[in-house]
Amino acid sequence: MERDERNEEHDQHFEDDGPTSWEIEDDDEAEEHEEHEDEERGSRTAVTYEPEPDDEDDHEGEDDEYRWHTAKRTRSDTAESDAVEFIDVKKTFGRNTVLNGLNLGIPEGQISMILGPSGTGKSVCIKHMVGLLYPDEGDVLVHGESVPDMRDDDLFEMRKKFGVLFQDGALFGSMNLYDNVAFPLRQHTDKGEDEINEIVTRRLKEVGLGGAGDKMPNELSGGMRKRAGFARALVLDPQIVLFDEPDSGLDPVRTALLCELIKEIHEENGGAYVVITHDIMSARRVAEYIAILWKGRIVESGPAAELFNSDNQFVRQFLSGEARGPLGME
Amino acid sequence: MGRILAAPRDWVASLGDIAQFSARVFYEVFGLRVFRFFGEALRQAGVLILGSTMVIWSLAFILGLQCGIEGAYFNRSVGAPAYAGVFSAWCDLREIMPYAFGYMMSAKVGTGLVAEIGAMRITDEIDALEVMGISSMTFLCATRLLAAFMVLPFMYLAAVGAGFFASYLAVVEQIGEVSSGGFFLIFWMFQNPPDLLYSLIKGMAMATMIVLVGTYYGYTAGGGPVGVGTATAKSMVLNVVGVHLIGMLGTQIFWGSDPRAPIGG
Repeated sequence: MERDERNEEHDQHFEDDGPTSWEIEDDDEAEEHEEHEDEERGSRTAVTYEPEPDDEDDHEGEDDEYRWHTAKRTRSDTAESDAVEFIDVKKTFGRNTVLNGLNLGIPEGQISMILGPSGTGKSVCIKHMVGLLYPDEGDVLVHGESVPDMRDDDLFEMRKKFGVLFQDGALFGSMNLYDNVAFPLRQHTDKGEDEINEIVTRRLKEVGLGGAGDKMPNELSGGMRKRAGFARALVLDPQIVLFDEPDSGLDPVRTALLCELIKEIHEENGGAYVVITHDIMSARRVAEYIAILWKGRIVESGPAAELFNSDNQFVRQFLSGEARGPLGME
Repeated sequence: MGRILAAPRDWVASLGDIAQFSARVFYEVFGLRVFRFFGEALRQAGVLILGSTMVIWSLAFILGLQCGIEGAYFNRSVGAPAYAGVFSAWCDLREIMPYAFGYMMSAKVGTGLVAEIGAMRITDEIDALEVMGISSMTFLCATRLLAAFMVLPFMYLAAVGAGFFASYLAVVEQIGEVSSGGFFLIFWMFQNPPDLLYSLIKGMAMATMIVLVGTYYGYTAGGGPVGVGTATAKSMVLNVVGVHLIGMLGTQIFWGSDPRAPIGG
């Protein structure tokens, strides 16, 4: 589908979902970022800091809104390079600005977590990574290649690098579990049924669903659907695996088990794993790298240990889950 | 004035979107890209056969009975009961079967497509397909259109046959005012192979429109389950209107200037 069609379609979905808490940003801010965009596009390397607002007097309201966004980014010692980069990405749905000059790098070979309050654009981030949405401004790079600039065929090819676990697993309701997991193999490889059977059985066992292959998705619990979605996401040995709120709707024990599973599988397979969540316990369990997203920009990002000891009041409040602090109900 | 024009403008915009979507699906089918997923097209063909054949044939049979009965009584009332076959031939082939096919396709297949694809949309299954590197438009929409092209002509011809058979039963066996030979003499005199072809074209035009409208509304559904319900209702309205438009235009084009009736030389 063409880029505009896809964006319009999402706009429609977004508007249909009713009002959200996302706030509308000043036009001044948009202009300011337009001024910066050209120079930023000239150097699409790893992003280390967001550009500081250059004219504080003209943007007092904005400064106030983004005063906790230090955009500090610390690289971990073990990180190789960035698998995915967001460069000054802006995305607006109707009158709601969801991503507002987002700069973010997802390090290769680590489990990264994008944390943030509800409605800050975390899922929109994932959709930008795989080209389900395109930025209004800025760029998204996957292994150095610009996603918005890709033609449809290249985009479909690039997506084979990804495995995505959607919130509810997004299993195909017309297929049983086995066929769901085998589906990518049947579509994208020339493997015979015996080999497919061996891979699917192994993946299903890894996620603890060894005996459930003949069950239909509607016969599974929420946790089982997520695990099945995980098995399907892994079946092509993707280089980048995205998890959209894997803990939503799960009880604490199953959340912990799923986190352990993510860690185990990552240790075994490697690659860049990106987990979107607002659950701090999950972050403590699995995150090696954390980026905190709020109001469409990164507040701070870096190795998990550093973020948990950050001096930034917003980061401290969010990661400790306290009621008092810069983040309110608005 | 602006408000008054807003609704028609939206309709025109929707029709434009549907036309664009349909062109894309046609391109996927006739550009042969759909054959990458020929297995899925075969599966959809199977679903059509198993899920809709008996319903459509049953409706065709009942309407064939109705045509036969009404034709027999009407011809009796004008003192020409032997000509009951005229009514059956025209009613069954030219009008009732295409409409019956269109209605049942709209109600059974069209709404089913919206509900199925719409549900896939709101549960992220379409996004899941896309991120697997599979064109959802080809996999979901083009395969269904190809399946319709593979199955529906045969299903339609058999439905016409069911209607003819039912009319025969009603006129000859039930009412019994004309012999079997007498019925068939008139029945076949008032139709020929081009009529069957024209009728098939009407039916297939309706079926194609219904599949395209169904896949469009399903593919673009949004706003959760309520949105899917709304899309289903909209598709039904558009399909019923479209079925009548195609029926009317088809009759006008194929038989308007030449009724192809052996009357008066």
